[in-house]
Amino acid sequence: MKLLLVCFFWLWAVLAHSQCAYTLSGTVATEASELLSGASVELLPGTAVSSNEQGVFRFENLCAGSYRLRVRFIGFEPYEATVQVPASSSLAVILIVQQTLLDVVEVHDHFEHVAKTNNYKTLSGKELDETRGLSLGEALKKISGVSTIQTGPAIFKPVIHGLHSQRILILNNGIRQEGQQWGAEHAPEIDPFIASNIIVIKDASAIKYGTDALGGVVVVNPADLPTQKGIGGEVNMVAQTNGRAGTLSGMLEGGSEKFEGFGWRVQGTGRKSGDSNTPDYILSNTGFTEFNFSVAAGLHKKSKGIDFFFSRFQTELGILKGSSISSTEDLRTAMEREPPQYTQPFTYAIENPRQEVAHNLLKVNGHLHTDYGDFKMQYGFQYNTRKEFDIRRDSLNFIPAIDLELITNTLDAEWQQHTSKRFSSNAGLNTLIQINNNLPGTQRIPFIPDFTNYAGGLFYTGKLNLETWLVDFGVRYDYRYYNVVGFDFANRPYTSTYSFGNASFSFGATRSFKNRSAFITNLASSWRPPHVSELYSFGVHQSVAAIEYGLLLDETTGKVLDLNTVDFKNEKALKWVNSWHVANDRVTAEVTGYVNYVFNYTYLRPSGVTQTVRGAYPFFRYTQTNASFLGTDLFGKFNATTALSVTGMISLLRAYDQTNTDFLIYIPPNRYELGMEWKKSIGKNGPALTFEATALYVDQQRRAPRVVTVNEILDAYGNQQDPFENDSRNFDFLAPPPAYFLLSMQAGTSIWMGTTKLFILVRASNLANAAYREYTNRMRYYADEVGRNIALSLKFSF
Amino acid sequence: MKTFLHVLLLMAVGALLVFTGCDDDPGKENVPELITEVTLTFTPAGGGSAVVVTATDPDGDGPQDLQVDGPITLAKNTTYVLTLELINGLLDPGDDGYYITEEIEEEADEHQFFFRFSEGVFASPTGSGNIKDTPSTPVGTINYLDEDDNGRPLGLSTSWTTDNVTVSDKSFRVMLKHQPGLKSATSTSLDGETDVDLTFVLHVN
Repeated sequence: MKLLLVCFFWLWAVLAHSQCAYTLSGTVATEASELLSGASVELLPGTAVSSNEQGVFRFENLCAGSYRLRVRFIGFEPYEATVQVPASSSLAVILIVQQTLLDVVEVHDHFEHVAKTNNYKTLSGKELDETRGLSLGEALKKISGVSTIQTGPAIFKPVIHGLHSQRILILNNGIRQEGQQWGAEHAPEIDPFIASNIIVIKDASAIKYGTDALGGVVVVNPADLPTQKGIGGEVNMVAQTNGRAGTLSGMLEGGSEKFEGFGWRVQGTGRKSGDSNTPDYILSNTGFTEFNFSVAAGLHKKSKGIDFFFSRFQTELGILKGSSISSTEDLRTAMEREPPQYTQPFTYAIENPRQEVAHNLLKVNGHLHTDYGDFKMQYGFQYNTRKEFDIRRDSLNFIPAIDLELITNTLDAEWQQHTSKRFSSNAGLNTLIQINNNLPGTQRIPFIPDFTNYAGGLFYTGKLNLETWLVDFGVRYDYRYYNVVGFDFANRPYTSTYSFGNASFSFGATRSFKNRSAFITNLASSWRPPHVSELYSFGVHQSVAAIEYGLLLDETTGKVLDLNTVDFKNEKALKWVNSWHVANDRVTAEVTGYVNYVFNYTYLRPSGVTQTVRGAYPFFRYTQTNASFLGTDLFGKFNATTALSVTGMISLLRAYDQTNTDFLIYIPPNRYELGMEWKKSIGKNGPALTFEATALYVDQQRRAPRVVTVNEILDAYGNQQDPFENDSRNFDFLAPPPAYFLLSMQAGTSIWMGTTKLFILVRASNLANAAYREYTNRMRYYADEVGRNIALSLKFSF
Repeated sequence: MKTFLHVLLLMAVGALLVFTGCDDDPGKENVPELITEVTLTFTPAGGGSAVVVTATDPDGDGPQDLQVDGPITLAKNTTYVLTLELINGLLDPGDDGYYITEEIEEEADEHQFFFRFSEGVFASPTGSGNIKDTPSTPVGTINYLDEDDNGRPLGLSTSWTTDNVTVSDKSFRVMLKHQPGLKSATSTSLDGETDVDLTFVLHVN
């Protein structure tokens, strides 16, 4: 408390002396008045931002003086000008399409991942700063249409338009993130602090990156490496009351005077949290410790460049101890008990059940500009380890029940050509060699088998610029080969080899209008080969009282079958996304409608009850069906006055199992968010303060599968009946939790102190300390969500 | 420029080769936690042949159901000592972990057996046992013959005296709970995790 007071006094002191309160804003557009989002806008000396979806950039709390403004965007001539602060009006930057080949220095511009005809949304700048201290998955919730599948307060997986895990591709610094993403409690192993912006592509057209993008793509982009001499950096600090959590992240970067074009960056993050708490009790064993770092260096010459990047992500996290159950009756007891079993006073200690996960990424990429086009090649090496510890007998507590290592090598090559002023094309090759090993010594039959995976893909995309229309298309072919070695329920070994191949295509068009609005349509067909877990899973997952069987396990004998003898087809999706957006001084709005029809959607379906020595158990089997996802994302921001703006965000989704005329489980319920932002300058030249209040309403999921309670299962079983024998519709043990309403508030300001910028944010979430449960949190059977949390974030940029 | 491209290519291909040679032969795991066989032996205190019933689940979490033999047929007015034996049949009898009973004895302070039976079958214990459905379920006592280091009951060995009645098609349920850090003077069958939960048919002649 004392520290907090000192901190505040110090802030006031700084505020009182600050004379730097000017704002510089403007828009970035093409000659055709098409607004450019994601352009890199630098104000030298000092700071850099990206233009937002509406092409708008903004620098706040500037000191008076002369600055150099530099705007860059791939495919356009860089823009440079001297600007005076205070400026008399908003700037309008027009970028001119580059006629010659790209300038080398900015070739690794991060927005090459996104085509103009994609439906995408970016999290950067202040919005990204506001998510500091959250995990990647949780941060992405700020984007309409994105939600999460959660396991307790520490594990968040992004869900795009109702799809997640193997159906979402995450690109970490240009490399396909390859972890054990099949598990619903396996969060992406990425430190969000490495990103200067995070893009979510909501359509399935990211054809350059291969299979699996049925739901969409998350692109995590670090900022460009500096190319000019000098050292800069930033330090982020976040303290949170819930979980008594702290985050410290630092970054240092610089360029070299001696070696022109050489830039480097080192970055590291530490996070620690103890047990989180609901309004009424502690969520025991939900703490986590995380330590991440990355190192990057690059050399960029006139016509070539090379980059090295290494990052490590390492976490240990606890899973709510009260969710540890080993029979259906345990599940009933756990669901009826509140607070959960094993609830104890707050601690930072992490016990079983827990996870230890590490992810290492090494990337080398080079690019070359020739008269025949631009060539790019990148190699990525990923080493992922995952240990899951359960509550077990005796000394088994110290050895993991699941112990996996995943080694992934990727090699990508790409050739980009500007055939004419109107047409450009891109062709490429992706290869992957992956090895998954169960490390011996778990003393349990492995949940998924060992496997080797060879995959390759070829793609071609073309882009046609027809002034008001921008059209692009792409085709791709992928091949994947699996060699699987595992053990069945009786610990008998099995081996199999399979291959899968298929084509994908995409088509997109953008129509820009003079009134700063645009219409984007995108139709894409994508597919994914089955994941080994869907074919061979065997066992009980942490904290869910259900046995999971892979698609290839025989229904009566449990023996592993040959893929060719079962009715299996590759999962394919046809996704059509249309969006319209507008941005002017008063209004920013975006309306997106989508339909995604997934053929042979592979999911866990209740299939029966088996009796073990521990009692009766429902079992779920991976089954295929046709599923549809129909939804709308709405976003609107209205600037009522220069000080006051109102923001609304709505995400609606209905998902349906078409084959079985049934609902699917864990589909995010409809969300409605309303925010208000108020800006005020302190004194005449003081720093600007912003206050924001947000109300979030999440409806009950009314399109949920039927409920079959544990008592019904046990009673039926007691009467020698199988409750799922004649009715294998999807079910849930509990009805979806009721709708909830959350309030949050935040206040922030940024202050210049010489060349150092300080951004301060105080954020209070779940302000009313409401007790509620989230439908898409797997812990909802056992405990409430976390209660009120107050976070203080500080960011120093220098 | 060309050499640059070559270097890139070589580097990438080289790296691919380095990391591909590690496809190892997976080792078979011992699975000491799996209980595939539970044997109940009712030995008459006054001598005579024991009543033995077994529940077997050869595929563990596999889809095949548990095989329960029985019924348990006890004689009237007789005192029996019930001993329990737990085996992991996926291991060989010589292997560590085959006799799970031994491990439970070693960890007696974290384990307890609970029982439920049809009322009126036994003269001692009376009632219907100590398995709870809800925290408010009333429970009876069980004649535990063994205890852990803290003096709390374990239940690998228990004593049962049948009443002087002939009954058939009654039930007898055995539950083993793993209660790490939870076993206490007040812990019940609702605490911890279930390792065993079996129900047998019971006759008394």
